[in-house]
Amino acid sequence: MSLRRPATPLHDRPAPRRWIQIDPILLIVTLLLIGYGLVMTYSTTAETRTFTGDPMQFVVRGAIWAAVGLAAMAAVALFDYAWLGAFAPLLYVFTLGLLSVVLAIGTSSLGAQRSVNLGGLSFQFSEVAKVLMIIVLAKFFADRRASIGSPLTMLLGLVLLAPAVFLVYRQPDLGTSLVFIAIFFGIAFLAGARIWQLVALVAIAAASFPIVWSLLKDYQRARLSAFLNPYADPQGAGWNIIQSLIAVGSGGATGKGLTAGTQSPLGYLPIAESDFVFSGLAEDLGFAGAVILFALYIVLLVAALRVAFRAKDPFGMLIGAGVATMLLCQIMVNVGMAISLMPVTGIPLPFISHGGSSLVSICFALGVLQSISMRREPEGP
Amino acid sequence: MRQDSRGFIPVRRFIAFGIAIFLVFSTLTVRLYDLEILRGDYYHVLSEQNRIVRLPVPAERGGIVDRTGYVLARNIPGFAISVIPVDLPRTREEELSQRLGSLLTLPSDSVDETIRAQRIRNPYEPVRISKTPVPREIALAVTERAELFPGVRVDPESIRFYVDGTLYAPVMGYTGPITEQEFEKLKQSGYLGNDDIGRTGIESIYEQYLRGTYGWREIERDAALREIKTLALQRATVGDTVSLTIDDRLQKLLDAELRKGVDDDKFTQAVGVAMNPQNGEILAMVSIPGYDNNMFARGITTAELAALNGDDRHPLVNKAIGDRYPAGSTFKMVTGLSALSEGTATRETVVNVSASSFSVSGTTFYDWRQHGSLDFVHGFAHSSDIYFYTLAGGTQFAPNVHGVGPDAIAKYARMLGFGSPTGIDLPNEDGGIMPDPQWKLATFDEPWTIGNTYQEAIGQGFVAVTPLQLLNAYAAVANGGTLWQPHLLKQVTDAAGKNVPIPEWTSQKLAMTQDNLRLIRESARRVVTIGHAYMPNLKIPIAGKTGTAEFGASTGKDSAGRNKLGFHNWFVSFVPQADNTDPTAQIAMVIFTYDSSKSLCELCLNPAVGMTQRILERYLGANK
Repeated sequence: MSLRRPATPLHDRPAPRRWIQIDPILLIVTLLLIGYGLVMTYSTTAETRTFTGDPMQFVVRGAIWAAVGLAAMAAVALFDYAWLGAFAPLLYVFTLGLLSVVLAIGTSSLGAQRSVNLGGLSFQFSEVAKVLMIIVLAKFFADRRASIGSPLTMLLGLVLLAPAVFLVYRQPDLGTSLVFIAIFFGIAFLAGARIWQLVALVAIAAASFPIVWSLLKDYQRARLSAFLNPYADPQGAGWNIIQSLIAVGSGGATGKGLTAGTQSPLGYLPIAESDFVFSGLAEDLGFAGAVILFALYIVLLVAALRVAFRAKDPFGMLIGAGVATMLLCQIMVNVGMAISLMPVTGIPLPFISHGGSSLVSICFALGVLQSISMRREPEGP
Repeated sequence: MRQDSRGFIPVRRFIAFGIAIFLVFSTLTVRLYDLEILRGDYYHVLSEQNRIVRLPVPAERGGIVDRTGYVLARNIPGFAISVIPVDLPRTREEELSQRLGSLLTLPSDSVDETIRAQRIRNPYEPVRISKTPVPREIALAVTERAELFPGVRVDPESIRFYVDGTLYAPVMGYTGPITEQEFEKLKQSGYLGNDDIGRTGIESIYEQYLRGTYGWREIERDAALREIKTLALQRATVGDTVSLTIDDRLQKLLDAELRKGVDDDKFTQAVGVAMNPQNGEILAMVSIPGYDNNMFARGITTAELAALNGDDRHPLVNKAIGDRYPAGSTFKMVTGLSALSEGTATRETVVNVSASSFSVSGTTFYDWRQHGSLDFVHGFAHSSDIYFYTLAGGTQFAPNVHGVGPDAIAKYARMLGFGSPTGIDLPNEDGGIMPDPQWKLATFDEPWTIGNTYQEAIGQGFVAVTPLQLLNAYAAVANGGTLWQPHLLKQVTDAAGKNVPIPEWTSQKLAMTQDNLRLIRESARRVVTIGHAYMPNLKIPIAGKTGTAEFGASTGKDSAGRNKLGFHNWFVSFVPQADNTDPTAQIAMVIFTYDSSKSLCELCLNPAVGMTQRILERYLGANK
């Protein structure tokens, strides 16, 4: 990887002009979503708190993480994102290192090794890895605009991607590895990759499905079968899907009210504060609550795309595209899972799922976007 | 196409990305609209079903007491073992079936089958595995090792207990598990699939009072099916107490005498019924041999049931109402009343019984002796067959006496309740047979003969009665002409001690004159004082009529190993207040002994007579 403009970031300093160019819509929608997330954490852990003795335990923890995230966002926005490009090779090595650490010393929960305990806090490094991988891939494609039409470029990109996908898949976390692949496609698409090459990749993936199927773990296969027919084993693999549908459907137009849902406090809905948080939201706040969330997401995604659209260079544009792809993919998979349009995978819903790693990683990514926005060319007269 | 100043911006691809966002959220929103708005109510019900279960709270069954409050049926605690299929992982179903099977001595296949069937029917509802209430030790074995018994519930359950099981079984009946068909009919009335229901006798006919009102408990429970809290509770109301007209003291006196007769091998089966002629209340009802209804209450085994069904003395039948026998000479009351009422005979009608037999168209008819000249009272008192042949069909012994005829006899017999059920408050009552010429033609396609009339006159031939019918007819004579609906129910009181309304008992006035009824009472009194049922040293003014019937096999042995002699005795009696044939009798009683083994001689004493004297003297003696 060569650095095309190595000198620029070193001379960059935040200037009042740049603060003015911060994207206010992106900032406001970020704050609104963090607030929504805290409300949902409160609502879905309402029953849990009666057991711990500290009623606000989860909310306080969520607020601390939000503060950390916002601080990270501000800090990242201060610096020119071009620095990230400069250190992309290092970030790549760091990403693979993080993912290897998870496999080596990660703690298991629910049969998967996804988090690492550090000083009593548990970190999901794959969340960080997603954001870092966006930067790495954005840098890679930004540097290869001339040869983007060559299959060799695509192949090289895949080679770059493959170790990360493999390491995440080994945790095992099929969902997150699919998000990595989606990010690749999103960035490649906006980088100008030939459509036929992308289609060919999808076709190859589809054709190799039987091989993938044979590599899947039993529980993953069961989840896929359950997705197709949850009632085949309503007490087993189909349980989550059925209970999630019941939670969502029973919310009705306006929901049962905050903390008034019954599916998650009584344990019918598993992991209701993270993986199935959307089901809890739809049960408590109903169709209206879900539509409000969707509206916020659409504003967020459009704002992210606008940042990309107005970026001063391809690197910034592709980071924006990558972040938008990541968010869209996670929203689609998580909500889709809750309403049985997607198989069950453990992907957090941005801002709403309770979890520090996800929140801080996304805040970091949005900080990068603000940095891109701040450093765009001022609008001409 | 719009050109951006910066050439690296792929505008069309941005638009495509925007369209992708739009498509994703459109799809999600449409799906959500379908789930939450269109099918919201459906899923709401499912979420409520998830967490809320309404469990029935059975009511304790009401007690049954005699007229003095002596307890005849009550409940004692036991336990029911059930399985809630949703609480039982499929993978452990087989293991659990085997464990429960061996604990409850049931085949594990059938346990498994029961669970499987319930899983399909309603997996949230407990299904009872124990067919009978189990003792505390087994209940403890389950609750103490709950981890070995996933999905198993132990509930307290009452076992019905009959204090004097065999003594009252024919009257009381028993409770038993509801059948699939009954459940289909009764589930709207709140019956449960594993409920007990009154099977026969009082338990069955007064089920409505005894059952009580079941309550329910609505509980919230979590995904692990732990009960979180009770949301609502409707307490069960204990069943009403049913007081019978039975007097336990008389029942026991009657039973002791009849049982002693069986033990002494005087007869093999016996029936005794006593009632108050003034209102139709049954004071005692004994049918021997009976059965212990506690066997049914605790769950009868196949072998026990087979033994009862295989017994040729039919212990499961209440013979007071459920079987029919020839009335024998007791029926002369009916023949006499018919002739008196139709005016073909009076108190002064004299028949000179100058022989002990005579023949009509080749058939010989006998009397038990050559009585000589008899008027009505003496004809009845000495139970002359020829006297009543004459009243019924006319004979050579009294050419000027016209027989009243079979149609008139049938008419008055039916008026007295023969030929149809009395309407007593017990199930499976037999109506007996009251023949007439039309009946014979319809049944056998043969014309009625004078021989049939003679046989009918003395309660033989086609005439068949239940002991209760016979008693009820005599009670109507004893009370001055009112035929009551006999009944066992005295009153019903609810848990608060208030009286519950009960049916009104019907009665019919006999179209007979008081003079004629009085003549029968006087004649019946003479039966005891000078006649066929002489009672030495009698302390109370018993009146009555004997009867002897011959029917059925008179060879071989019955299930108890006793000789079947086909020779059966009746004594039906009533006790006027004083020795003046007044219609004020407070008690009437019938005793029927079956297969008497030592009464083949004509002059031997009818065992029912002596028993009647002892029972009534003791009962009324202590009462006064």
